[in-house]
Amino acid sequence: MILDGVKKQKPNRFENHFQELIGQEEHYSRWIEHPSSSILHHGKSCCEEARLWFLSYARSMEGGVSSQYQMRPPTWLSQVFEWGPSVWPISWCQVFQEKTIDCGVFAALSREVFTAQGFEVHPAQALISYNQTCTDHWKDLWETGLRNLESHQSGDVFPWVGDQIVYHEICLLEMPEEKARIFDSTFGYWFEPQQRVGFGALLSIRSECPRILEWGDKVLSYGEWVDL
Amino acid sequence: MEKKIYISGMHSGQNPCAGVGIARSLRKAFPNLHLVGVDHWQGSSGLHHEVVDDVLLLPQWKQIDSLRHSEYLETLLDSGNIWISGLDVETHWLAQNFGTHPNLFAPPQAALEKTAKPGVQAFCQLGFQVPESISAFLSDSEIHHFLRQNSWQCWLKGPYHEAKRTSSWDGFERSREAMKKEWKTSQLFVQKNVIGHEESICFSACRGKLTALIHMQKRLITPEGKTWAGRVNPVSRDFFEEFEDIIEQLKWTGGGEIEFVRDLDGKKWIIECNPRFPAWIFGATLSGVNLPAKMIAAACSLPFVEEIQKYPCFTRVVHEIPAKEAVGLPIPQDPSLVAWSIEGKGKGGAVQAALIPQLRQQSETTKMEESDQKIPPLYTEEIKNHLKSFEGETPTRIHLHDWTFSRFEALVTGIQKAHSHPKIQIAYSVKTSATDAHLKHAQKCGFFTECISQMEIQRALRTGVPPKEIILNGPGKFWPLTTEPVKDLHMLFCDSIEEFDRVIEIPDLARVLGFRIQLPKLQSRFGVPIDKIENFQALLKCVRRLKNRSELGFHFHMPSWAIGMQRWKEAMKSLLTWCQSIEQLTEVPIRHLDLGGGFFPSDLEKINFSWVQESVRSALPEVKVIYFEPGRSLTQEGEALVSRVLDVRKNKDEEISEIVVDACIAEMPLIHAYFHRVFFQSQTKTDEKQFQPLQKGKTKILGRICMENDVLSPGLNIPASVQLGDLVIFGDAGAYERTMSYDFGRG
Repeated sequence: MILDGVKKQKPNRFENHFQELIGQEEHYSRWIEHPSSSILHHGKSCCEEARLWFLSYARSMEGGVSSQYQMRPPTWLSQVFEWGPSVWPISWCQVFQEKTIDCGVFAALSREVFTAQGFEVHPAQALISYNQTCTDHWKDLWETGLRNLESHQSGDVFPWVGDQIVYHEICLLEMPEEKARIFDSTFGYWFEPQQRVGFGALLSIRSECPRILEWGDKVLSYGEWVDL
Repeated sequence: MEKKIYISGMHSGQNPCAGVGIARSLRKAFPNLHLVGVDHWQGSSGLHHEVVDDVLLLPQWKQIDSLRHSEYLETLLDSGNIWISGLDVETHWLAQNFGTHPNLFAPPQAALEKTAKPGVQAFCQLGFQVPESISAFLSDSEIHHFLRQNSWQCWLKGPYHEAKRTSSWDGFERSREAMKKEWKTSQLFVQKNVIGHEESICFSACRGKLTALIHMQKRLITPEGKTWAGRVNPVSRDFFEEFEDIIEQLKWTGGGEIEFVRDLDGKKWIIECNPRFPAWIFGATLSGVNLPAKMIAAACSLPFVEEIQKYPCFTRVVHEIPAKEAVGLPIPQDPSLVAWSIEGKGKGGAVQAALIPQLRQQSETTKMEESDQKIPPLYTEEIKNHLKSFEGETPTRIHLHDWTFSRFEALVTGIQKAHSHPKIQIAYSVKTSATDAHLKHAQKCGFFTECISQMEIQRALRTGVPPKEIILNGPGKFWPLTTEPVKDLHMLFCDSIEEFDRVIEIPDLARVLGFRIQLPKLQSRFGVPIDKIENFQALLKCVRRLKNRSELGFHFHMPSWAIGMQRWKEAMKSLLTWCQSIEQLTEVPIRHLDLGGGFFPSDLEKINFSWVQESVRSALPEVKVIYFEPGRSLTQEGEALVSRVLDVRKNKDEEISEIVVDACIAEMPLIHAYFHRVFFQSQTKTDEKQFQPLQKGKTKILGRICMENDVLSPGLNIPASVQLGDLVIFGDAGAYERTMSYDFGRG
């Protein structure tokens, strides 16, 4: 029995709104060209110890009341790790020494957890709208965070924060019947396919799943940015 | 006379009723309707809202005369006025006392019965599942078992509303007593908690015809579990049509809400069906679906056009409004009374529970009493036989050897039925027994012995246990502090990296060395906390040092009686994952796996040893032996505490309300942690009723000491013939109940 009907509503000048926003964003072209992040493995015990520790730890954190379900999204990640700047590239043996991790690391860790649970999971990226008051704070947070990073000064920090749009990395799960679910691994919730404008609204999404999937009334195909 | 719409349930507080939302919805659609807000309590804040034209304040529910109220309603409705019930209990009262009326918007009795909790059978065909539940009046042992099986994640619920989380035995007992007292119903039940997103189906119907149906996802929820913000979605056409059929069959009229949880796998679990609109109903109106208006439009043939909203979400705000002088506010109670008052505590402020006695008389035939304990005859007989010749001082313990040893034999039989590989080895836990007879019998059964100190090792050695059959565990294994501990033990599990560094320097201490693991998320103070990667890496270094020196083992111990069997199994699987990682990273094979103890007596025999063996074999093929360390499960039932009655107290009806016995919480420190079977032996009567198991009843059993919590039972059926000196015997007083007891008030 299908409970949820999908409300078919024509976007309310959404395209114009989106175009207006991206027109003001300096890093827009970098965002849409940026590949999804992944964690490096040195091929030695340093990284393998860290990776297996994480997977064992994840298995423990899935225990308890949610263990009876097949789907056990790693919502605990956001309780255990603090969101903040990461310097890229980053390797497994570095990740758990850091005081903060960014959305790219959160997404990469989540993919490991979902894969261990037996799900087909893929990287995905999103553009989300916020206001400048908010993004200014995040820019400050990143600057402060980077000053506190002692050991990894030589890497790159991706300019994910714009003025009214931010770049974000998330997870895409393949579900039965060629459906997709989108998990925000940084904050531990599921995105919904409904279009919206304003604070925290998902504007556009790109899937790295090699198959075409339906997400609500959207169709996601590999590497293509789909506006909501 | 102008037709009016009466809307009951106007309280708009932290636990709001639907009245204000219904009124606002109707006002939005039909500005000229005459709306009357109804409630039974002056403090019902929605009565002051500008949306209602008039207010009808009725007496408190407990002061309502059913006949008079029915006649009043009949006159009102016959005059063409409409009554929309916004109170759960009122809908039940109306169905039972008033029946149906074309102008009454409340579901009929048959519909209420088919949508009653916990089954909510009328809607199950829509693809909902029902969380497992049992009556709260089954025997304590059955309820305790249900709670353990569900990892103490359950709800105690009433038939109309109110639900209390149940996460411990004493918490459950307190909640059950409180709800029994408040609701006076035998329909309390315990239901498994389901984790998931909370959602609702809200509907309105007019005389069996569905007028509107929506789906709402809760986005913000208050600490009381009330919706604070939500998203309103349309339902599919198929769903609407199927729902339409059900509403027609039920002859539903009025609003309704099905609350359900969508679990992590997407399954929908029905929680309850409320026979009235939800309090957030105006949120649905703002989101584009005005359910009350559609219902009234259908009933009164009023034209009504819905407004389409672009963003179908709503949220609540708190705001102040002027209070109406005509309604007034309740006069504050004197502070000295406030502390004792229960007024205004119920939903809607009107203490709906006060209606329950009237409802119960008509609909309930079952007694509000717990089922009798089912006590195995062997257990009862052994206690009875002990008491035949009992003359000693009290309180004192008697050992039920036949029963205890039958538990040992049952375990041996269980193991014999398991696979042969990996071998299952039992290690009996010394700390759970005060008698060497248990240790000796364990040895006869082929069990090893588990010790937590050098003292316990010495006791085991004295009873003939060889060192090679001893497992040493715990944080104080070298107490009393010694540099020459007993050697040649079978196995030793270090509690810390630091301890390992010392242990590894002592030659021939144990054939198997390893660690107790402190698994993440399970709260424990024992073992190496591997939730920190640096501890994990330190542990790997230690394991590498063991290579070719000693066999490797790992140990975890989480009492299943406290965390539940489901969580215990999960913890075991989690341990296997950690062990796999350690084995892979160090290339040191894990040969021994100790899964600890802490099983409740009836749980141990239900363990599927073969499942455990298969799980271990598949994850860790090198494991040779799997150990269990039962103590509590073998001996908790094996002792009974005999006490004498010191005082008998009666109420004005000459019923025995309390007795005082010479036992106390010092002899039974875990009396509130789990249920105990209790027996009575008269010292004066000589017939067959001289000895009897005590079932639940009204007599409280108080302990002898001057501590407020020294209440040994909240209520048992003590015989009316009880006299000073009669014996009250508490079963299930072995294991920790014995070994953790202490001296108190003995002069």
